[in-house]
Amino acid sequence: MKNLRLKAARAAKDLSQDELARRCGVSRQTMSAIEKGDYNPTINLCIAICRELDKTLDELFWPVE
Amino acid sequence: MLIAGRASGMTVGLIVGLILAVILLKFGNTNRKFKTEYDERQKEIRGMAYTYGFYAMAIYEAAMLLLSAAEIELPVENYILHFGAIAVGCTVSCVYSIWKGAYWGLNNDHRRYKAIIAVCIVLNMLPLIGLFRGESLMENGKIGMPMLNIMVLIMLAAAGVTYLIRQAVDRKETEEE
Repeated sequence: MKNLRLKAARAAKDLSQDELARRCGVSRQTMSAIEKGDYNPTINLCIAICRELDKTLDELFWPVE
Repeated sequence: MLIAGRASGMTVGLIVGLILAVILLKFGNTNRKFKTEYDERQKEIRGMAYTYGFYAMAIYEAAMLLLSAAEIELPVENYILHFGAIAVGCTVSCVYSIWKGAYWGLNNDHRRYKAIIAVCIVLNMLPLIGLFRGESLMENGKIGMPMLNIMVLIMLAAAGVTYLIRQAVDRKETEEE
């Protein structure tokens, strides 16, 4: 399932996938895979993404019902 | 005597190749470290790539075993057949990694790596010049040494084609975003 909240939060910060990936210490392909829902990141990477986007884990990664 | 000479030549070649690889890999990484760094997803993919590479090698060796058991002799030198296992395993592992987007490590300098690959292609084409001049691929009635270079070039070509297709797919996906 696509993570549209992550994509929206990244767009709100005016960051490209490449830039966010670089800041989080991962490749662009990995960031793309997370947004597309093809890869479940570890908690450490989730936290790194949340820190860069000033969001909480709940806001970006908790499943919405 | 000739065979012993060839074996020692190959050993020297392998050692020089390994030393060159260490130097080139250090040169190819932005932080001058020998080891390429990968993120968590890339490590996972590379793990799968090694698994598939291993299976491919196992299947290849099993096929060679069956041929040998059936006493079917291929017109190929033994060392070429053994190198075939390495080539098959490496190609499968490499193509899978590239296709799944784990081709660039985090500390790779893309331009330098491309230059290193170009050098590899040239180095492997040099021994084949004789073939273009009409020399035979056969040695003592069997396919010999130049086949090693051809196999390396096939490996590089497979990786190159996969990389180009992957790049095109990635570009299309980025445009769609």
